[in-house]
Amino acid sequence: MDHLDALENQSIYIFREAFRKFKDLAMLWSIGKDSTTLLWLARKAFFGRVPFPLVHIDTNFKHPRMIAYRDRMAREWGVDLIVGRNEEALCAGMEPAKGRFQCCNALKTQGLQQILEKHGFKGVFLGIRRDEEGSRAKERVFSPRDKNFEWKYKDQPPELWDQFNTSFGPETHVRIHPLLSWTELDVWEYIRREQVPVCDLYFARDGKRYRSLGCVPCNSPIESKAGSIAEIVEELKVTKTPERAGRAQDHEAAYMMQKLRSLGYM
Amino acid sequence: MDVNDTLRIVIVGHVDHGKSTLIGRLFYDTGSLPEERYREIEKTCREQGREFEFAYLMDALEEEREHNITIDTAQTFFRTAKRPYVIIDAPGHKEFLKNMITGAAAADAAILLVDGAEGVQEQTRRHAYILSLLGLPQVTVAVNKLDLVGYRRERFREIEEEIRRFLGSVGIVPSYIVPLSAREGDNIATKSSRMPWYDGPTLLSALDSFSPAREATGLPLRFPVQDVYVWGGKRIYAGRVESGTVRPGDRVAFSPTGKFSLVSTVEKWNRPDCPQASAGECVGITLEDELFLERGEVMGARENVPAAAREVSASIFWLGNAPLRLNQRYVLKLATSESEVTLSAIPERINSSTLEIIERHADRVENLEVANVTFTLHRPMAVDTFEENQRLGRFVVAEDAFVAGGGIVREVWSDTVGAQARVIRLDVRLMTEPDGNFVDLSREAGPIEFDLSPGFLDRLEGGEKVAIRLRTADQLETLARLAFGHRMGFEFRREGEGGKVVLFRERPVRLPAAEETGPVI
Ligand SMILES: Nc1nc2c(ncn2[C@@H]2O[C@H](COP(=O)(O)OP(=O)(O)O)[C@@H](O)[C@H]2O)c(=O)[nH]1
Ligand SMILES: [Mg+2]
Repeated sequence: MDHLDALENQSIYIFREAFRKFKDLAMLWSIGKDSTTLLWLARKAFFGRVPFPLVHIDTNFKHPRMIAYRDRMAREWGVDLIVGRNEEALCAGMEPAKGRFQCCNALKTQGLQQILEKHGFKGVFLGIRRDEEGSRAKERVFSPRDKNFEWKYKDQPPELWDQFNTSFGPETHVRIHPLLSWTELDVWEYIRREQVPVCDLYFARDGKRYRSLGCVPCNSPIESKAGSIAEIVEELKVTKTPERAGRAQDHEAAYMMQKLRSLGYM
Repeated sequence: MDVNDTLRIVIVGHVDHGKSTLIGRLFYDTGSLPEERYREIEKTCREQGREFEFAYLMDALEEEREHNITIDTAQTFFRTAKRPYVIIDAPGHKEFLKNMITGAAAADAAILLVDGAEGVQEQTRRHAYILSLLGLPQVTVAVNKLDLVGYRRERFREIEEEIRRFLGSVGIVPSYIVPLSAREGDNIATKSSRMPWYDGPTLLSALDSFSPAREATGLPLRFPVQDVYVWGGKRIYAGRVESGTVRPGDRVAFSPTGKFSLVSTVEKWNRPDCPQASAGECVGITLEDELFLERGEVMGARENVPAAAREVSASIFWLGNAPLRLNQRYVLKLATSESEVTLSAIPERINSSTLEIIERHADRVENLEVANVTFTLHRPMAVDTFEENQRLGRFVVAEDAFVAGGGIVREVWSDTVGAQARVIRLDVRLMTEPDGNFVDLSREAGPIEFDLSPGFLDRLEGGEKVAIRLRTADQLETLARLAFGHRMGFEFRREGEGGKVVLFRERPVRLPAAEETGPVI
């Protein structure tokens, strides 16, 4: 069993454990490479089907090529897709210019909160990884959020030997992180091996590509010549730039990501 | 060994001995620290008016940086010429032991860090003991901060000897003991010229000598059923092969029920005719017979299934805020099964840092203590000893649904697989008839055992009678013993293959006056 097999099996185990323990499950699909890999792993875990709906939180600032890719894949794979938008905030004109922290919190975190409430989801799969940034490095695989959506990062329950904490208070929902142990390079090596179809914004055009997909105003492409999955893998093996370098919300102020995440950001 | 196999290393030791710093340094010295991360840390340190702090790479939370401590375990990744690594930082404060255990339980090997100036401290010993309980045999000791003691060989030797002695007492033989300075970068990735007296490997080459925890392919087959999917006309038993290998056609049996069958197929998505599944693989299994198995059953080869435990003795560590108490009920979770258990004995309560036995035949185990205990399982569970099979020999203890402790199984007392008695709790709720007390067990075909509630005994004490209908004559013996044990009388009437038993409290026999007062104490 090689490294990717070990990661894949670990993720499948987590998926099945969550599916066994929670009735009202959903999976967050951000359209990026991680959550698309997650979707691929879900299909593996459940022998080709995806026995829960996918949720996409649309901030209205996503690239049209992301939306086109999303709709095409949803059709092709026959998944149940729920699109959520914080209409109230959008009508009130929320945008990054009003403050990145406020914008992320309203359009993403609260957008998610509304969908979870509306559908009564108790468990949500997310494709976050420990190597993305510091506060994610401290996450548990099964990570509870209280009714105010808050993450109690200072007092997390122990988690060992794949015995996950799965029963929490009635007002709580649980974030489930099957990709937590994967690195960015693992994800791309897996995409290459499994030939997972990914959004074409990742591939270089005119010397630039997106390393991470987000909202158009807050996400800039990197200089790159990597036009194929294999070239991306090679690029990542030598790069010294962190993955989220192009994501403005990570760099606006010290501990901004920790603060966003403690309020329930993904 | 596959050179691409990732090795997961946890760094443990007393608070402030330099664990987080060492990790930052490992990154830096292997060129794995992204420049932007370096600059971000540099900037934060400058804003705080302090020297560059390598620990900030891992201590990312604001609270951690502000107080200079690690609160929760974190994982990070780097790569040497030899292979990729996952580095797991563990907090050294004793309040965060649960986080240290969370980190250490995920590792293949450990670095135990000791401050060369301060020497072995409380958490150094506690962490070492926990490593041995978690079954982590690969340990390298790093004696840090030697810059503070002038890189003196004698000081290193003293600590080396002390730590070797302690590790020996918990059954750990360290692979290497490396003198270093995390802050200055001595003996981390390159050999230091400041310690010419040391001729062992650098820390990095010590790490490269470890091997990832092998998948337990060589052990007997263990496949705990995780879930059952009835999809597309098939009944698929989903689970992970914890040890051994399974192939279509294998003659298999299940514990604790003792059911058996032949493996029909091994199922994987997009892999028709999958020839086998080995340790570590998550697959589906279909069987030749319709068995209706549930989660928690463990499949093994027909002649080798795990014991159906009724009682286990174990070494445990307790992390709960409230003490673990004798005769209390808890939930024990082992692989995919779980059972209510009663903590029936605490032969030894142990200080997890000094290893002293605090108390024998104790009635409780306090937070952070280790103990040898016995659990009585309320229903049988498939269990191996930790020595036979780590995967089926380790468990967590849940209290109020949260994991509050964990342990490893030393001994198992079991029923013959497949012949476990059903434990029937006789309490007032079972008494169903409005005009009398009647317990109907006519649907219990197998062996039975009773567990009496105080309320039930109270009713009998008050002079009431209870009728119990049994399915088979074999069950009579258990009931007769129950009556004997609780000084009850009983009447029996045959009904078909089974019968009806009426239990009642014996009238106290009038004794001669002299004996009635009882012995003089
Ligand atoms: N002089 C000296 N100080 C060190 C060394 N390693 C770590 N320190 C300091 O010891 C303190 C505690 O280090 P830290 O890594 O946070 O310890 P941890 O609690 O074990 O993670 C920090 O101020 C470090 O700068 C070393 O090799 N030499
Ligand atoms: Mg630390």
